[in-house]
Amino acid sequence: MAKKPTKTSTGEPIRKKPLGTRIWNNRGYYLMFLPVLIYVLVIYYWPMLGVRYAFYDYKLKNISYVGFKHFQTMFGDKDFWTSFKNTLELSIMKLLITTFVSVLISVFLNEMGNLFVKKSLQTIIYLPHFMSWTVVAAIFTLFLSNSSSGFVNETLKSWGVIEKSIDFLHKKDMWRPIFYMINIWKETGWGTVIFLATLSGINPELYEAADIDGAKRMQKIWYVTVPALANTIIIVLILNLAKVLNMFESVFVLYNTRVYEVSDVISTFIYRKTFLQNIPNYGYTTAVGLFKSLVGCMLVLICNWASKKIRGRGII
Amino acid sequence: MKKKVLSVLLAAAMVMSMTACGGSDASSDGGSTASSTTSSSSSSSTESSSSSSSTESSGSAAAAVETPGEYVLEDLYIVVDGTLTATVDNGQDAFIEQWEAAVSQKLGHSIKLHINQLDHSDYSGTVSRLLTTGEPGDGSFPDALIMSATMFREYAPTGLLWDQADAYANAEFQSRVTLPSINENMKDSTGALYGFAPTYGNGCVTYVKKAWLDAVGMSIDDIKTYDDYYNMLKAFTEQDPDGNGSAGTYGVIAAGYGKLDEAPFINYMPEFWQDAYPAIYQKDGVWVDGFQEEATQKALQRLADAYAAGLIDPDTEEAGTKQAREKWFSNDQSTSEGVFTYWAGTWLQTLTDNLVKQEVDSEIVMLPPIAEIKNSWGGYLNREAPVWVITDDQNGDNSREQAIFDALIETMLDGDVVQTLWTYGAEDVHWSTHAEEFTTNAGTDKEKTYSYEEGTFHLKQSPNDPNSVWKKNHLDAVLVIAPLTNGYVDTSELAVAGNKFFTENCVDAPQAPASETLSEINNDLVDLKKQLMNQVVTGEKTPADAIAEYQEAFGDQIETVLSELNG
Amino acid sequence: MAAEAKVAYRKPKKHIHVFDVVNYIVFVIVALIVLLPLWKVLVDSFNAVGVYQFRFWPNQPTLAGYLTILTTQKLYRPFLNSVITTILGTLLGLVMSTLGGYVLCQEDMPGRNAMSYFLLFTMIFSGGMIPEYLVMRQLGLVDNMWILVVKHGMNVYNLVLMRNFFEGIPASLFEAAKIDGCSPMGIFFRIVLPLSKAALASIGLMYAVTVWNDYSTVQIYITNRDQVNFQYILRVMVMDGDTPTTAYKVSQNTLYYAAIVCAILPFMILYPFLQQYFVTGVNIGAVKE
Repeated sequence: MAKKPTKTSTGEPIRKKPLGTRIWNNRGYYLMFLPVLIYVLVIYYWPMLGVRYAFYDYKLKNISYVGFKHFQTMFGDKDFWTSFKNTLELSIMKLLITTFVSVLISVFLNEMGNLFVKKSLQTIIYLPHFMSWTVVAAIFTLFLSNSSSGFVNETLKSWGVIEKSIDFLHKKDMWRPIFYMINIWKETGWGTVIFLATLSGINPELYEAADIDGAKRMQKIWYVTVPALANTIIIVLILNLAKVLNMFESVFVLYNTRVYEVSDVISTFIYRKTFLQNIPNYGYTTAVGLFKSLVGCMLVLICNWASKKIRGRGII
Repeated sequence: MKKKVLSVLLAAAMVMSMTACGGSDASSDGGSTASSTTSSSSSSSTESSSSSSSTESSGSAAAAVETPGEYVLEDLYIVVDGTLTATVDNGQDAFIEQWEAAVSQKLGHSIKLHINQLDHSDYSGTVSRLLTTGEPGDGSFPDALIMSATMFREYAPTGLLWDQADAYANAEFQSRVTLPSINENMKDSTGALYGFAPTYGNGCVTYVKKAWLDAVGMSIDDIKTYDDYYNMLKAFTEQDPDGNGSAGTYGVIAAGYGKLDEAPFINYMPEFWQDAYPAIYQKDGVWVDGFQEEATQKALQRLADAYAAGLIDPDTEEAGTKQAREKWFSNDQSTSEGVFTYWAGTWLQTLTDNLVKQEVDSEIVMLPPIAEIKNSWGGYLNREAPVWVITDDQNGDNSREQAIFDALIETMLDGDVVQTLWTYGAEDVHWSTHAEEFTTNAGTDKEKTYSYEEGTFHLKQSPNDPNSVWKKNHLDAVLVIAPLTNGYVDTSELAVAGNKFFTENCVDAPQAPASETLSEINNDLVDLKKQLMNQVVTGEKTPADAIAEYQEAFGDQIETVLSELNG
Repeated sequence: MAAEAKVAYRKPKKHIHVFDVVNYIVFVIVALIVLLPLWKVLVDSFNAVGVYQFRFWPNQPTLAGYLTILTTQKLYRPFLNSVITTILGTLLGLVMSTLGGYVLCQEDMPGRNAMSYFLLFTMIFSGGMIPEYLVMRQLGLVDNMWILVVKHGMNVYNLVLMRNFFEGIPASLFEAAKIDGCSPMGIFFRIVLPLSKAALASIGLMYAVTVWNDYSTVQIYITNRDQVNFQYILRVMVMDGDTPTTAYKVSQNTLYYAAIVCAILPFMILYPFLQQYFVTGVNIGAVKE
């Protein structure tokens, strides 16, 4: 948020004009805001009225008020809790892992002396971020497939590491590690942007002082670079913590029936219950969605509060 | 002070704009709701938009428009699945054009046909979305649609489907019906007919590649029991049936180890399932849950063993029917399979044509039911027929629905022009009676020339594939309940042979149950069963553990369903 | 700037360090991990036979995969849909977020904070899948590719980024224009936009990437194959094995890899030239996923 203006740029103190005049003076701006206002009302606010279906049974054409029935069903629904738990586990683990790798890469990339090499490396590692999850899933599904053209399986077989093809994406104990690895491949490069920006702001005198103290390269990294990143790391974690419940597409494109237990997240749960059933109850899925929105809302507010504490400004 | 003013302003702005969008919302419903929403602009904003987006209001508004008895149906919206083979890139435009011309003439007023053909993989989900969120006449709400027997049983008690019993009884084609039992069986206990089956169901038979049998030195006549079948798959997997000198082939592929979401569930892998029926069905007059029976555990064990031995293509788990069959007749036979159980009749011709087109050995032999199937069921299962349903706008008046019946179903079995459209497709696009000569697969050793004299009915080349001959459209001339009267017959030998083989080797599948509790839990039930089946087949769980897990999760509810069914 | 400063300070040390050698080796490996999968995709898309091995060059070169996509309506039509929706979605997004961002940085405009909160609230609370679906249904956007334009037509986060950027423009420029009698629109077009080219480019790219890459919207809202985008077709082909009948004889893998290349091609071509704008976008605001 901008500072409160008390003076104009020319230094004269602002005399507050009457409200009506000020509104009239700004009429042009209100007019310009109108399209945005209409858009936001229709696309974002109008659907919010629909959350009332959380308190209704909504099957085909029959809509009837049922109070909190869906929430009771939900809290007793084993599959729902599985998806809730998975959402938290997957997105927090993913967040920690990718942040850690990002920091690691940023720190060592920062040590790269040759500017051209450094820039080229940045260009390369940012690349996967701009590919869609569909593309990434397509690539890795083809690579990991257990058919005879599956790159990973056949390579491992030809090296004699394994005897039989492994159905990587269908194995309950392998799905999560693979999911994290694909996330690292896709997102860590981009994650370094903010850390590199922070690192470029480190005062060179700190390094010089360390040189004078006779610090080795690793020591400088450990005692100068890493502490400088601490604040940024915390901010990145907080920012992303606010969105942990939003996980959808990355899971949706990679999961399958056999690994629901370890991969189903709230959004995919809602999707399946809403769109893949013979006769779905929209009321129930709206209720789950409302619950997700409310928890998400709380998370954002908590993170906002934390962010204000730490860096003096909120995240929203 | 300032804050207060702002919040008042904001609130005012929001109310104003919401009224605005409430208004536009009402108008988007079209003219039919105008009378019911005239008062909405004066009511408070939230109410106006909620009443117009809720689904009851416009339904009743539509009632006002209808005058009983003289409903004129000008647009007919239907939703179909892949069984309408005249797809968009395969001459659907011509089909629609000729249908509109013929039906307009019959009805005495012009009518437009709008076809929404959905992906097979997500058919039931999409249909439920259309039916839940749409309104009759809004352009995407289906007036009539195709449903599988399983879907139909779930929808029958919802009140959304129109009872066609009277319309069917009074139908003009009634006198020509040769198979009345099919639609009699569709009726529920009160005699209501919510879905109409124009054909009988058909079923799957097991196809085997002749060249592969020869390569491993076997003959189809020797495959009598499950052990023989298993050994055949084993030979296909471990020997070199495609003759490329290395392994990589599989015994069998299907669209899923079992098709647990659609009756008759076991038809894609009948040799493994044998006497098991993994769903609720009637056994000796009593409804039982087949999934909990020991037969199912044994069947799952057989699948798991064959999977572990590498006989079942692992793609089976995720494959849809299209993927499965394309892999079977793929140009690249080195990762293909020898056995494929699929629909009987015309499909024998289609599969053969595709093998020809892909330049692979095209001879297919049909495996008679193995002893285990023969002794338990009596043959391959003939599924319950898919049905056409008409949506009921629930306004207590039948004129719209009767008009749909007259325009769609009455004409579909008129024995003449329109039935020919549904059976063979559009004239001079899919079939013709004019003199013609054409060649398929020109320049290959599969080259074949067809020539017909003027006045002879014959099928033409497929619009999207000049190398294959068109087979049929939605209705199968052999399976239809009221045959064509114009004498048009497809003389494809393979289709005829395929049908003959199936009729000689089939029995009717068990009837699907209709239970309210079951429709409530069926989706979750199917999900869990699928998951357990996949886990057992791939060796992650034992059959016994899987069944125990199933009982733990659904045991009580299944009890309820069974007691409902058994009265 | 600061990076260069650091390089400058390190320059005196000329001798080669073990650390640097290891560091270079590590980063060569990192770069390979990123690039090799993409290289394999590219090579296999030109290779007639689907082989598992890694090759640096196609051993049976063919263009069949690409020709199939170019000549099969079920494949090129989604590609065109993707192009059209991406262009329009980007334009709409830019118009909306510059307008909104510009208005929100008018400091003496009554109601400014309320308007900000009105927008920001949408970032923390949403109606959910079904209510959104019902609204889109009412708007006639179900089974209609314009949903891709409308749904991404404005992103509040991008609007805030725009506002942050505009706030960096010296206020004296506005004042001078106002004194010259410029209308708000006039200022917007004559002063604000010309000064914001970098921001426009980077936010425009964010919109373009979002619309082009969107798959789930299509999955939820569109069933008509004429209206889907290329990401959807790619997904349906590779995951569901639903390949359309084609005139060319092409192995499935070749077609799949060619489709993957087409799905990333537009951005891969532009990317080296526009990379700086992507990064600018991040640095205008905070962090964007």
